[in-house]
Amino acid sequence: MGDRKKARDEEFQSFVVGRWPRLMRTAFLLTGEQHAAEDLVQSTLEQVYVAWRRVGSADDPEAYVRRVMINAHARKHRRRLKEFLAPKDDSGLVREVADTGDRMSQADDRSALLKALAQLPARQREAVVLRYWEDLTETQTAEAMGCSVGTVKSNAAKGIAKLRAIPGLAETVTQGGRK
Amino acid sequence: MSADRERNHDMTRTDIAFLLADAADEVEIGIAPVQAVMRGGRRRRARRWAVAAATTLVLAGSTGALAVTGLPGDGHGDRRTNVAHPPSSPEARHVYEPQTTELSRGTHKGKPWYVDIQVWGAPRDEGEANQQLASMDEWGLHPAVDKPAQVVGKISYFVTMKYGSDSPQQILFDSVKKLDRPSGTDLESASLPLDKAGDGPAGDRLVVGSVAKTAREVTCYWKNGTTSVARTGPVIYNHNIPAPAIVPAEGYPAANWFVCAAPEGTTYQTAEVTK
Repeated sequence: MGDRKKARDEEFQSFVVGRWPRLMRTAFLLTGEQHAAEDLVQSTLEQVYVAWRRVGSADDPEAYVRRVMINAHARKHRRRLKEFLAPKDDSGLVREVADTGDRMSQADDRSALLKALAQLPARQREAVVLRYWEDLTETQTAEAMGCSVGTVKSNAAKGIAKLRAIPGLAETVTQGGRK
Repeated sequence: MSADRERNHDMTRTDIAFLLADAADEVEIGIAPVQAVMRGGRRRRARRWAVAAATTLVLAGSTGALAVTGLPGDGHGDRRTNVAHPPSSPEARHVYEPQTTELSRGTHKGKPWYVDIQVWGAPRDEGEANQQLASMDEWGLHPAVDKPAQVVGKISYFVTMKYGSDSPQQILFDSVKKLDRPSGTDLESASLPLDKAGDGPAGDRLVVGSVAKTAREVTCYWKNGTTSVARTGPVIYNHNIPAPAIVPAEGYPAANWFVCAAPEGTTYQTAEVTK
């Protein structure tokens, strides 16, 4: 009995070690911030650990982990996404809208993209990240987001349209990517 | 023209994927904190039990307080004030038990489906909020918050769909200080498949939404060109299955709700207020 538990723990440990980099990158795109990404991945994996007996033996533990992460992200960020993500200035006020005249945001594509992502509603951001970074199918994305394929399509399309509307990013996109 | 659009679409897809990959590289990966994760997991498991135990205690505590308040001849001025203007209890405000309304029901492939709305009253403090979140958890509901403080002063609602023996699926939900009050032809809706396993991609057959109290007719358009019309007024039943209708929901005075289900063989296209 104890041996089985130990084996499960070891299996979980190797799962965490193996998936940590990828999960961190996804979480970073979802949250836009290093510490928030670490928190999101850690709390996701804690929940996965609680259910590992079931998850570890499932056909697709990845799908479960994605679902937990997206749920956690949605819960945490749905209400205050912009406040949480947008870089705060000295007065602590949140920048709601990108400053299109900001040279930094135009000079740095990564920064421009992260800022643009930060301005998307959580569901659009999730759809864009899962579809275009995780490269999931619409059906897999719908599973992860707990919604319909139609909702995924519409959120991804709206998200992409908004990203393309950001001046700095639009230039990058029309020039065929960075570098 | 459409070839251009296709090319643009592909380019956008490639470029966005490229930019996302590039941006994702900015994060410092570090070493996976395996032990911390496992400790956190064990704490979470323990906390589940702690929450359940705390809920029991709080309930017992409220019962005691009510019993004391009800004692006659107390002689305490402050207590008499409470009796004269009793604050409505959390139970009366539906903080721990939601007001529920069935918005519609039907059958699909021989199995029943139900669309319900649960409206939870606003907790007045963190104690009530804590207990509310525990109750929501028991109902299998997951609000859009992760701390009890975030639901204090907020009404929470959940529109759920249950199909066959599947666990209920949250369709629309939010926790808000004031319920949105749609007007004119405003319509907020969500569509979903009835049977995730069988309907396949883009198989949204059910549409659920809210409309202004003044809206008298909603038309749901299906991809095969047919429509379903939901109207206000008495709900018409056929073999105990209601026809599409615009209905009020208990605890949600700001809007009415409708549900349309697509006929067999077609799926959802759009919905709008037509009267």
